[in-house]
Amino acid sequence: MACAPNRVRLMCMLSLTFAFFIVEVVVSRITASLSMLSDSFHMLSDVIALIVALVAVRFAEKTQATDKNTFGWIRAEVMGALVNAVFLTALCCTIVLEAIERFTEAREIERPQVLAGVGLAGLLVNLLGLCLFHGHAGGGHGHSHGGKKGKGAKSHRAGNGTPGETNNLVGNHSSSTDACQTDVSPKESSEVQINGGAQYEDVDNEHNTSSQLNMRGVFLHVLGDALGSVIVVINALIFIFVWQPCNKDELCVNPCIDSHATDHYHGNHTLLDLRGSPTAASAKMAGPCWVLYLDPTLCLIMVCILLYTTYPLLKESALILLQTVPKQINIHRLNERLLNLDGVLAIHELHVWQLAGSRIIATAHIKCHDPTSYMEVAKRIKDFFHNEGIHATTIQPEFVTFSSESQDSLCELSCRTQCAPKLCCGAGDKKAAGDLRAIGESPEPAAVFLVQPQVIVTSEVESSL
Amino acid sequence: MLPLSIKDDEYKPAKFSLLLKLSGWIRSILADTTSRNLFFFLCLNLSFAFVELSYGVWSNSLGLISDSFHMFFDCTALLAGLAASVISRWRSNDSFSYGYVRAEVIGGFVNGLFLIFTAFFIFSEGVERALEPPDVHHERLLPVSVAGLLVNLVGIFVFQHGGHGHSHADHGHGHSHSLFNGSAGHGHAHHDSHHGHAHHDSHHGHSHGGHAHDGHGGHEGHAHHGGHQGHSHHDLDDERRLGSSKQILQGVLLHIMADTLGSVGVIVSALLMQNYNLMIADPICSMLIAVLIGVSVVPLLRESIGILMQRTPPSLERALPECYQRVQQLEGVYNVQQPHFWTLCTDVYVGTLKVVVAPDADARWILSQTHNIFTQMGVRQLYVQIDMAAM
Repeated sequence: MACAPNRVRLMCMLSLTFAFFIVEVVVSRITASLSMLSDSFHMLSDVIALIVALVAVRFAEKTQATDKNTFGWIRAEVMGALVNAVFLTALCCTIVLEAIERFTEAREIERPQVLAGVGLAGLLVNLLGLCLFHGHAGGGHGHSHGGKKGKGAKSHRAGNGTPGETNNLVGNHSSSTDACQTDVSPKESSEVQINGGAQYEDVDNEHNTSSQLNMRGVFLHVLGDALGSVIVVINALIFIFVWQPCNKDELCVNPCIDSHATDHYHGNHTLLDLRGSPTAASAKMAGPCWVLYLDPTLCLIMVCILLYTTYPLLKESALILLQTVPKQINIHRLNERLLNLDGVLAIHELHVWQLAGSRIIATAHIKCHDPTSYMEVAKRIKDFFHNEGIHATTIQPEFVTFSSESQDSLCELSCRTQCAPKLCCGAGDKKAAGDLRAIGESPEPAAVFLVQPQVIVTSEVESSL
Repeated sequence: MLPLSIKDDEYKPAKFSLLLKLSGWIRSILADTTSRNLFFFLCLNLSFAFVELSYGVWSNSLGLISDSFHMFFDCTALLAGLAASVISRWRSNDSFSYGYVRAEVIGGFVNGLFLIFTAFFIFSEGVERALEPPDVHHERLLPVSVAGLLVNLVGIFVFQHGGHGHSHADHGHGHSHSLFNGSAGHGHAHHDSHHGHAHHDSHHGHSHGGHAHDGHGGHEGHAHHGGHQGHSHHDLDDERRLGSSKQILQGVLLHIMADTLGSVGVIVSALLMQNYNLMIADPICSMLIAVLIGVSVVPLLRESIGILMQRTPPSLERALPECYQRVQQLEGVYNVQQPHFWTLCTDVYVGTLKVVVAPDADARWILSQTHNIFTQMGVRQLYVQIDMAAM
């Protein structure tokens, strides 16, 4: 199966990245470099993204509905994207706080050579990861990681390339996994003559757009990684060449480190001793202080870049989880065109939402004349939805009762009066139902009204989007 | 009232006026008990954090400064809860046909994630300090942690007293407990360890795990899923409001409890260290607290993840197969296919179903019967698709 190599690569990259993460954390402790620490955090988030991608690949392949998860595990990738985005944001906040602390209490980087070396190694691993995933960019991973926060460790970078690719799961994975296995529902629908069997024809379009999204995500991610590693190396090099440290055996003063704010001290402890000493004037001064502030500054820049690139991912997955109507679907037009179909008198409770990636689900109540005409209308409705790219639809028919010829727009199945007050978002439905009665015969204004029942109600709660 | 134009349904506040928007938000925040409590508690926390920060800067204590940063971090959790409670009340529109009600679940989930992150950080800090015991200064931090503890206790009192929706998923009752424990207080006494480390040192996980509610005696307004038919609108409004904040409040409550235990742990370990010189007490406390926090967050996370993954509602799980049986026993029904039941937000269930019927069956009757069957269980939005079997 075409998906297996994906998994192998993911596992490879995952282990490599995790190993480098450990290395970076250790090095950051040794060298006391904030940029290395933030780089290691970024690598950790890459590890998480990779794990999420692996889980998504594994679970997305089993789309069998279980009793508990009737939709299968497809949402897992959206959740994974959200978890990753939140985690990154939390990491960014932590780095910001640490950077601010560094501003108040500057700290020297120790052993900058190690820093530079590890950073370069990270850069190489990053490039390796990029090559490894280059051919599979369309294979369902786009990572809008971007901007690592000043990762000191270059080894970071290597890991970043790959995990980056695994992140824009939302768009990509479903398209790739659709190609990998057949969906369950077409089989079911073919068993019985159901009006309008579903076929998955236009998944190809989805592939193209989502793979473009992926490539862009990958590119952004790799760019961010590169930037992070470059910053770390720059930091290390500047420190090596510009900073004049205090050696342990000579008498020197470090003017950059205040004594009052430190409880734990890496560098020289001689400052206090020399304060009152007569030899203070001839003591050597440690290197230019601005070098010490370079580290946190660069980290802050990286944090900004990271947040900027993480935000779209966060927003997209949050919107999907909020059951929003997919961007490419215009509900108004959908409603109008549905009403234009023969035999459709009215539409209620139309909901269109995205399960994950290209899986869009729609539900509606359709009012028709009688059961016999419903059979033909149902097929047309299904085809209409398929043309829109919505393949999983559930259409509930409502039939006109003799007494309500003039009230096309009311829901026949007392769902309105019974359900409306109980909707957690639809207290306005009840009042709107009253308004609907005033509508004339023609379905057109009814349809327009349908989409705005809740808004008629005055309330202090505004939807301010 | 007929619409004047196609765009009339999109009444939105004037976008150009930021002030108008802000005042609208403030009004909506103050309108609801939950968000009002959250807002005031957030202000309390913020002011405490600022006071601590300024005191730390003035006295040049790194521990206090980093502790105040930790409080700011906690404020973001409160902010997330507040935002979620405001957003979830917005009206539905074209892009959000179900409204924004899912925001509450996402808010609770994000809070849970933050808590996990916090627990992880505290644990790593504890490990780090166990390996390299630093000098710990307690003089200035003890009063601060006591003050933080008091703020936290205020938060616990406010939120436990405030909103409540009770739900025991296992009982299938449809009670939703909103545990709002605004994580109040951050009274962490920040142990000055090595470098600028994260400020979650003295977080204490709280042993809150099993929803042990003490003061939930007098809660009315329970949502019973047994017989929804006769509810008055007012009653439903209450239910709706209480039920819909459950996740947020649970997340916030966990946060406050975590902070409270943090303060308590700091005080305890400080006392231990001062009186018995047990230096190992500090990291052990931290690690214990981190584990407690992690464990207590798991129920919240499990529930939110279940909802967000479109999982069958746990309270309906047992009753659903029986309902399918009843539908299949209706006259003319051959089969029930592709049932999907999921939770929109707390206590609101949506379901879709495909029913295969004989060509000569009475579709109308089958539809209304099916609706009755499922409405009795509390599924508020049901879509039943009738498919005629080929003969």
